[in-house]
Amino acid sequence: MGFSTVATPTGLIIGLIIGLIPLGIAIYYRKWWAGILGYIACVLSGFACGFIGGIPMMIMATAVVFSYAYINRQDPFTSLAKLEEVNFKETNREFLVRQLATFGDSIRATGRMLIRNKSGFIGFVGVMFFIIVSVFGPLVVPYEGQPQFSRRQPGATSLFQGPSPQFPLGLDWQGRSVLSHIVNGGQTLIITSVVAGLLATVIAVLFGSLAGLLGGIIDQILSAISNFILTIPQTPLLLVLAGLLSLNNNFLLAVLFALLNWPALMRAIRAQVLSLRERDYVEAARALDLGTWHIISREVFPNMISYIAVNLIFSIRAAMYNLVLLVILGLVPLKEPDWGIMIYMGRQQGALFNPSASAMLMAPIIAIALFQLCLVLFSRSLEEIFNPRLRSGV
Amino acid sequence: MTATVQPQQPVAQPSESPNWRVWLRKFRKNYTVRVVAQGLLTIWAVTTFTFFIIRLMPGNPLDIKIDQLQRQQGIGYQEARARAASLFGFNPDKPAGEQYVEYIGKMLHGDLGLSITSPGVKVTDEIIQFLPWTLFSVGLGLLVSFILGVGLGLLMAYWRGGILDNVVTIISSILYGIPDFVIPLLLIIIVGIQWGWFSPGAMRGGVDPSIPVGLTFEYIGSIFKFALLPVVTYVLSSVGGWVLTMKSSTLSTLGEDYINVAKARGLSERRILTGYVGRNALLPLVTRLAISIGFVVGGSVIVEELFQYPGIGRNLLRAINARDYTTMQGMFLVITIAVVVSNVLADLLFGVLDPRVRLGGEEEA
Repeated sequence: MGFSTVATPTGLIIGLIIGLIPLGIAIYYRKWWAGILGYIACVLSGFACGFIGGIPMMIMATAVVFSYAYINRQDPFTSLAKLEEVNFKETNREFLVRQLATFGDSIRATGRMLIRNKSGFIGFVGVMFFIIVSVFGPLVVPYEGQPQFSRRQPGATSLFQGPSPQFPLGLDWQGRSVLSHIVNGGQTLIITSVVAGLLATVIAVLFGSLAGLLGGIIDQILSAISNFILTIPQTPLLLVLAGLLSLNNNFLLAVLFALLNWPALMRAIRAQVLSLRERDYVEAARALDLGTWHIISREVFPNMISYIAVNLIFSIRAAMYNLVLLVILGLVPLKEPDWGIMIYMGRQQGALFNPSASAMLMAPIIAIALFQLCLVLFSRSLEEIFNPRLRSGV
Repeated sequence: MTATVQPQQPVAQPSESPNWRVWLRKFRKNYTVRVVAQGLLTIWAVTTFTFFIIRLMPGNPLDIKIDQLQRQQGIGYQEARARAASLFGFNPDKPAGEQYVEYIGKMLHGDLGLSITSPGVKVTDEIIQFLPWTLFSVGLGLLVSFILGVGLGLLMAYWRGGILDNVVTIISSILYGIPDFVIPLLLIIIVGIQWGWFSPGAMRGGVDPSIPVGLTFEYIGSIFKFALLPVVTYVLSSVGGWVLTMKSSTLSTLGEDYINVAKARGLSERRILTGYVGRNALLPLVTRLAISIGFVVGGSVIVEELFQYPGIGRNLLRAINARDYTTMQGMFLVITIAVVVSNVLADLLFGVLDPRVRLGGEEEA
């Protein structure tokens, strides 16, 4: 399957070039720190994913730089300009700069809140750690795919071997370094889960807003479908479907997970849309005749984005859980290296009952558990950040 | 539960409308009826879903079986088809509609067909053999974790910011955050193999086979002993969620006016905690209990597989791996029906406990 990102030299060059844009703007406005940080971020994300990661990061870095430099001259309240001096006719360029600066401000505000929340920050750092290790790790620790029977210890009956200075996580049943499998085995898992999470979120947002906005028969049909999927116990359904369809393609698996995952978020979005429709500020916007597009993009969407972000993380987590579960149970034939395959093969090779092989199984188990835990911490903190009622409580 | 009377708006009785129509409307608006109807609808939908997925999907199990029979036994297509059809218990030559009616009829009679991999064994017998183990271990685990979680959550919210609160919050967040299949693996590897507290090899199965079956103390003790590992797993994997939910639910209840009133009236702490806070905070957890039954029954697949516990989850997995479609279909249906029924019961219970739900539903419909 096509999706795998490996840090490539081309990506590094892309990152180095793309990063010049925020850097140049920062130098122009004399915001040195913002420029340097933006440059590093662009280089890293460009290195990791080429244009796909580089360009969004470039836009974000540029926006942040602008937000530091920009003083809103259109706003008579913050710029302290006299009302008659304010020029309300802005050129396209000014409009773009203002939009970018606003966007950068919201990025900075999110970052500040993220740092303020302790457990959420730990979760965020953990998630970033796993992603960075999976993307850049293969450059440092190359993947060992071939059996290394020469590593059999003298007098040892099996190749399993505990941690040693040379092999920090021990060896597996074929004498391959477990560390290399851990470093190389997270990527497919992470990408498949992210694709599944994104798909589920897109379906949920689309159906949820359709059901909430249109109501009537469409609402009833969509709600019935989501109720139906929610009622069926998910894991047996997943196992039965995976067994029947015998999928071995990561993208199709992601689609399957997305199809099982969308209903919960869809219901939440629907409820949210229904309640937002009745809010005073939406009423006010409607009374001012600001147009449907304005209402959706300015009044309704910003109030849901936090919610969607939290649920995106939950769907990613659920997809990862599902994928690992299927792999451990041997229902999807995925390729090595993969954390789930490590557990599956470890069980097949009797590592579960072999005291000296515990390290080989513990490594992927801890990796998966930690990743899932970090995702939960991160999403819980997002919830806390965006829901003021929770802030004092949990 | 009978149809409740609505005091504000008595049902208008126009003279031309016959009495049965009013009754019909009341019947449709009744909370119980709606909940039960929805449950039945879901069961019907799942049954139909399995019908279509087994028969009409491209590359469906029947075609695979026919192909397999042809290759393995060197028989013609027609004969292989007839044999496969008898194995699956239906006639593929009939029109789909007729097949469907036949299928639903069999389901209504509780006839789930014969197992494919173990010929001559009824699927219902297999289910009856395995289901009690799952229900026993899952039920026990859920009960323990619910009681533990609710108690801890209540106390934590009451003594917010104390040592108990901080320690248990961290532990439950971790337990809630890690995936549930990690817990049995860690139990086996760390507690069983590394610490040597139990021998994972000897703890396979549901009961010690050397003990004769009977209502003896020894036999029942053995059942509990072998269920210990799955139950501990279920408790550990679900208690975190209970604690956190109960805590936040209690916290929101503590802010209610009637708690302040109770305090102002000088009621004892204990009375407030049990009679006022606990009862109201427990309400939202009742529905979660039903949902979690579904989760735990679903999650039982990997737990039972790892501990080799003879429940329905492990045998569902075995059926899937062996491509035993009739068994798979039967077990899947039974699990689904169990979950739907528990959901319906929880909804009904919730309606009894919280009249707002019942009445709100009536106004909406």
